[in-house]
Amino acid sequence: MAAPWGQIQRLMEVRVEVARQREMKWIDMFCHWDKWVKHRFQKVKLRCRKGIPSSLRARAWQLLSNSEELLRDNPGKFEELEREQGEAKWLDIIEKDLHRQFPFHEMFAARGGHGQQDLYRILKAYTIYRPDEGYCQAQAPVAAVLLMHMPAEQAFWCLVQICEKYLPGYYSAGLEAIQLDGEIFFSVLRRTCPMAYRHLKKFKIDPILYMTEWFMCIFSRTLPWSSVLRVWDMFFCEGVKIVFRVGLVLLKQMLGSVDKLRELQGMYETMERLRNISPDTIREDILVQEVSAYGGRVHKTCFCFYSETRVISHFILSWLILLSSLPLSVSTLSDVLLSRSSLSQ
Amino acid sequence: MSESYDFLFKFLVIGNAGTGKSCLLHQFIEKRFKDESNHTIGVEFGSKIISVVNKMVKLQIWDTAGQERFRSVTRSYYRGAAGALLVYDITSRETYNALTTWLSDARMLASQNIVIILCGNKKDLDADREVTFLEASRFAQENELMFLETSALTGENVEEAFVQCARKILNKIESGELDPERMGSGIQYGDAALRQLRSPRRAQPQGTQECGC
Repeated sequence: MAAPWGQIQRLMEVRVEVARQREMKWIDMFCHWDKWVKHRFQKVKLRCRKGIPSSLRARAWQLLSNSEELLRDNPGKFEELEREQGEAKWLDIIEKDLHRQFPFHEMFAARGGHGQQDLYRILKAYTIYRPDEGYCQAQAPVAAVLLMHMPAEQAFWCLVQICEKYLPGYYSAGLEAIQLDGEIFFSVLRRTCPMAYRHLKKFKIDPILYMTEWFMCIFSRTLPWSSVLRVWDMFFCEGVKIVFRVGLVLLKQMLGSVDKLRELQGMYETMERLRNISPDTIREDILVQEVSAYGGRVHKTCFCFYSETRVISHFILSWLILLSSLPLSVSTLSDVLLSRSSLSQ
Repeated sequence: MSESYDFLFKFLVIGNAGTGKSCLLHQFIEKRFKDESNHTIGVEFGSKIISVVNKMVKLQIWDTAGQERFRSVTRSYYRGAAGALLVYDITSRETYNALTTWLSDARMLASQNIVIILCGNKKDLDADREVTFLEASRFAQENELMFLETSALTGENVEEAFVQCARKILNKIESGELDPERMGSGIQYGDAALRQLRSPRRAQPQGTQECGC
């Protein structure tokens, strides 16, 4: 049954060769980064979907997020922030969370170890950088993932980009942005996987119940590690729509057929399933494939429009909700989004 | 399915961040301390069937994130809770001072009749204590709460906290003070037969669909 040793060895050589080639391609892109982003973005996107070579991931994330530029434009800023005292109300919670991030990861296992120290440094620095935002507990796992790849200062600027550019408002007081995105996510689900949608609706499982952690931590506490990295590669390149798509794929995988729903006869059973995704439900390659496939279909319109105008739509929607005495159905918004095909890229 | 029970109660675990809410839940369900745990983002769940005064009661427990920021999200899940563990950390006065806010939230959003047990957690860290037993029990008395000091680490009083709370709810059902049939009571019957046994005692003016004969 087992393949002959020679064959295995040849296969390994091929894989090593492919990996080496990929690295070369990425290094070449790094050398002419601006040109690549400007003129051949589709290719960059494709390569991110294939997975960034792990040796180059840190640099790629920083380039994709523009955090490298931010760091360059703000020399010494991080150290300056570090020297400040910070507000006790934030520091207390941050300290409580330091040993609660990836406790099985070598870097964060030791109390007071380097990983935890760096985590403290960047989370504290953020509360001083954005005193109006302070600290949100969901930022800690995100910061920890960044620290696994890059030094504290780089990780800090990358975190800044995630909080301000990729997921604006997600970590702000009131958590309105995440709640709104939950509603939008749910209305997109209605179109992409009506079966899952109906099931969740039937048992009154609001999106906020399962997607809060998924979205706020960018799946870092949800998926098997290799998948997390692939999702982050795509996320840094394509933005929040990747988060939406991964969420849709997960729901489709878990609630998308009569068979799967048969054993989930209740809210509690369903929540259990959604909160404990077994690694074999979601294979990395299938996940990436499905996430990529969403791009070609009608949803693209919605996602593109959504990501371009998310700030505006958040603003308008909050006002609509405020002003309207009628119960506002967010699916109406989704209809509007879907009909704006001219905005599709 | 071997899962049979007489009642299902919805429970909440609330309190400030880092007081040990998830660890209490984990100790209750798994009977061991969860040393390496993530902090809760949003809501977590747990459930367990316990035996209380000859009744099998299934507790469906909603464990919430403690950070103030998450309250806007977690609050929406108070509705229809029959019982709650209100948790503070005996080594942190700040978590104790926050109890009033948590309490008024629970009473306002869950139901007036919600049965709450106050848990002073981290009892094992007595050397670092900032809140005395006496002070907290007085607070509990004034606010009509049950009270226990617990340790999610050693397991001391953890099961008791859940059981006591469930027992009180059962007593209230027996005495008629709580009506499981009422919407949003946080109580469900586990078995249709039981419902028939129990309901004739109450003459319900509009209970037309109750009887099948």
